Amino acid sequence: MAKLSLRNISKRFGDTKVIHDFSAEVDNGEFLVLLGASGSGKSTLLRIIAGLTDATAGDVIFDNLRVNRQSPRERDVAFVFQSYALYPHLTVRENIAFPLALDKFKGWHHIPGISTIARRVFGSSKDIAKQVSGVSAMLELDQYADRKPGGLSGGQRQRVALARALIRNPSMFLLDEPLSNLDAKLRAELRGEIVRLHRLTGKTFVYVTHDQVEAMTMATQIVILHNGVVQQHATPQEIYTRPANTYVARFIGSPPMNLMAAAVVDGQPVVGGLTLAAPDGPGVGQPRLGDGGVTVGVRPEHLSVTVDGGRQGLPGTVRRIEDLGADTLIGVQPDPALDLKTWELNRDELIWIRQAGQSRLMAGDACTVVPEPGKASYFDSTTGENLAPAGRNSDAGAVPLGA
Amino acid sequence: MSLRTSISPPAVAQPPIQDAPSRHHMWQKISPYIYVGPAVIYLIIFMIIPVVQGIQLSFTKTPLVRPDGGTGVGLENYAKLLGSPQFYNSLGATVLYTAATVLFAVVIGTGSALLLNRAFKGRTVMRAIITFPWAVPTVATALIFGWIFNRSDGVLNEVVGVMGIGQQGWLVDPKFGMAAVVLTSVWKVMPLVMLVVLASLQSIPTELYEATRMDGAGALETFRAVTWPHIAPTVRVVTLLMTIWSIRRFEIIYLLTGGGPVDSTNTLVVNVYRQAFSNQELGRAAAIGALGLVLSLLVTVVYFIMERRTAAKEA
Amino acid sequence: MSTKEAPPVLHAPARRRLKAPGQRNFSKPVRLLLLAALVLFSGFPLYWMLNTALSVDSELYGQAQGWWPHWERLADFGELIGTVPIFKWLTNSVVIAGGTTLLSLVFAVLAGYALSRFKFYGKGAAGFLLFATQMLPEALLVVPIYALFASLGLLNGMGGLILANVAFTMPVSVWIIKGAIDAIPYEIEEAASVDGCPRVTILSLVLTPLILPSVAAAAVINFFDGWNEFLLAKTFIAERDLWPASVGLASFVGQYLTSLNSVMAAALLFTLPALIFFLLVQRRIVSGLTAGSVKG
Repeated sequence: MAKLSLRNISKRFGDTKVIHDFSAEVDNGEFLVLLGASGSGKSTLLRIIAGLTDATAGDVIFDNLRVNRQSPRERDVAFVFQSYALYPHLTVRENIAFPLALDKFKGWHHIPGISTIARRVFGSSKDIAKQVSGVSAMLELDQYADRKPGGLSGGQRQRVALARALIRNPSMFLLDEPLSNLDAKLRAELRGEIVRLHRLTGKTFVYVTHDQVEAMTMATQIVILHNGVVQQHATPQEIYTRPANTYVARFIGSPPMNLMAAAVVDGQPVVGGLTLAAPDGPGVGQPRLGDGGVTVGVRPEHLSVTVDGGRQGLPGTVRRIEDLGADTLIGVQPDPALDLKTWELNRDELIWIRQAGQSRLMAGDACTVVPEPGKASYFDSTTGENLAPAGRNSDAGAVPLGA
Repeated sequence: MSLRTSISPPAVAQPPIQDAPSRHHMWQKISPYIYVGPAVIYLIIFMIIPVVQGIQLSFTKTPLVRPDGGTGVGLENYAKLLGSPQFYNSLGATVLYTAATVLFAVVIGTGSALLLNRAFKGRTVMRAIITFPWAVPTVATALIFGWIFNRSDGVLNEVVGVMGIGQQGWLVDPKFGMAAVVLTSVWKVMPLVMLVVLASLQSIPTELYEATRMDGAGALETFRAVTWPHIAPTVRVVTLLMTIWSIRRFEIIYLLTGGGPVDSTNTLVVNVYRQAFSNQELGRAAAIGALGLVLSLLVTVVYFIMERRTAAKEA
Repeated sequence: MSTKEAPPVLHAPARRRLKAPGQRNFSKPVRLLLLAALVLFSGFPLYWMLNTALSVDSELYGQAQGWWPHWERLADFGELIGTVPIFKWLTNSVVIAGGTTLLSLVFAVLAGYALSRFKFYGKGAAGFLLFATQMLPEALLVVPIYALFASLGLLNGMGGLILANVAFTMPVSVWIIKGAIDAIPYEIEEAASVDGCPRVTILSLVLTPLILPSVAAAAVINFFDGWNEFLLAKTFIAERDLWPASVGLASFVGQYLTSLNSVMAAALLFTLPALIFFLLVQRRIVSGLTAGSVKG
């Protein structure tokens, strides 16, 4: 059982700083997802927790022990690799039994030659065999027990890797993009599997991914990293409903949140002539916003589109229709006269709307985009920070923005 | 085991943080040396120290029978060497032997690779026969060729006899000694060139050939445009290896001609051996060895420079 | 096949299947001629060794040697060889080559691992040492090594010879092993370290089984070198009973007391194991040798 504390972790590779002063507290039993694009430093962070990489500065603390100088084994963590990292020369059974067999090694068993025999003898001992078959059954691997990893599919291999992690009953599970080499269907299946294992063991899971669906569906907490800097540490719900800044707003959600430039008139944000409700909390209307205005963010599902010109909204032209079956994505190019700076903010000149069911609209139709009242987010247009106070339900252990 | 807790504030009073005990870190620092140490120490004892001792020896007059009891003579050995035509002859023999062996081995080896780089009936057998010589122990090679080149009963004289040329002393006539030694060496080392170049040829993607063929290129153009650029780096490397190996080749020459006839095949390495174990002059031998070492180093340096240049080109 | 392309026709006859690369560099008769010459060049001396081993004494000296082996001589092969203590010498060769291989591989696996996986101060120097020593000619070192061994009392024994051989064969092996370990994904090692393996045990339980083919190739190359080695053995070992086969056979060069067919028969016995070994692992040896020598 371990509570994980990371204190001021930094990591440099030569001149490149990949992690900037990262701190977080993770309670025992949490499912923490480190989410970020490639190069965000998330895998390095996980490897620092595991002891596979040394941090340049900062402490890794398990409960009250600083484990910086301990080997991965001494830290009692299990690590699941993206590439599975199974032992190709051992059968599935031997792969799973490997850590347990090693547990039984005494000093002299490590002598080359003797170690080979010792691994075989211990690995086939009764108590280990029993545990191995228990875990294999749980992960439905029994019928492959005598195969080598080369003869398994990717999904089966990752199950073996999970089994090898599970059998040790470690204090913490560290998973490095375990599903990203699998196809979509297997990914969904194994996602469920991993969540089930988390419930079953009650241990802390730290899970690295670049896939927001994995993060949203599995995590109890998410840390979003960008260029080695924490953007937000919060629950999945909060990250979705109150993204800490425009980076998070754009990173989470598909299509991502629409960002639009707004002026501030009499303390009310005005987008393209449309006055929206002021956000709660401080910020809007304060002198510092007077010059630059704010950035308004609205998720696609909080917008609707109509051809009824009489409605209050943002005029535009339908450019793209993507029918996903259950719902439809509509890309609308706002009237250039509105000066919404969509290209600047979104890297896309379209405002995306998600609509349930099919749409009758056609590309080229003139239309009006109507935001749902009270569902918009507001960001400081210079710093990009969310102007609403950090959450009623946010993690007190989370690092405040800008740390 | 508690079920997962919701996100909660950190405990107010925390016990002090302690360092977990571990010897792991210390081990990580020293373990590379434990692994690489034995090999390095071994090479220092059996390679570096002998090289240094050899250089020391070259400044002494040391008889073979008392290898550790020489008298210092300063630069005398070197002075004598550099003043003696025999040494330059030896240097010349080394260069001639190396150049000829490398040239023929690389040309014939590359040619064989090109010939064998297509599927035809009996290719496997032919390739095996052509590669066999490489596996034949050098001493056996010398025995066979010594017999083939034998003046009175050798098969070569039998053959040239049929052609109307009289018996020749292939290994005892200064006209032929070097040629015989080179021929034997080429026979022995050519297969390696062939195998290496063949491996490189077989890694050329077929699409490249298809593309040039679509362009209507002829055989020679295809070779120039596709084949040669692809195998050139390999040929370069193998040429360098052959050069290094030829400079240091000893057995074939020593066993076939012993450095003769009339010192025509007395390459540096053979010369060292004869000075040391026939003339029993370890000091003189070491001096030749030291000068030979300089030659080897020169080749090594050339090798490094070429490696770096290709690496820079690739980058 | 003509070297010139025919002008394009409207309905070309079914286009020939594209053949293996390089096929069009020679026209067919020339190619066949060249191949025949090559096979003759490479094969004849070996054939001649067999033919001489299976010849009758009378044709060796004075009268012309026949072109075909006297196969009936196979029956007295034992007798032929009996005149030469070849089996004693071959046994010595096995001991020397085996010892060289074993010792060399132990060093090579350890050093290859360190060079492949660790970053440490002095790595460049260690790599250069292992690279540069490959370039040192045996014959130039034989004098100082002789002097060194004389003072250590290591002359005239197979142990000393093995020690000297290893110095020459080990560097190549190190590069072969290093190359093999470079090709193993590092994650497997990390997984083992998470599973509780110290370095030694990772090396013995995980890496060595995975690089076994390369270890085998290195072993064969070492064995080859030990089997063929002549110079050091000749210099260090004076006692006839301790000679390896290479030195033993070389002692017949240029002397005519032992009849040549016996010598050739012995040489054939000495050659065969090398040939067979070579055939078994040819591909690996070639890639191993070049990898070892090319990668500085």
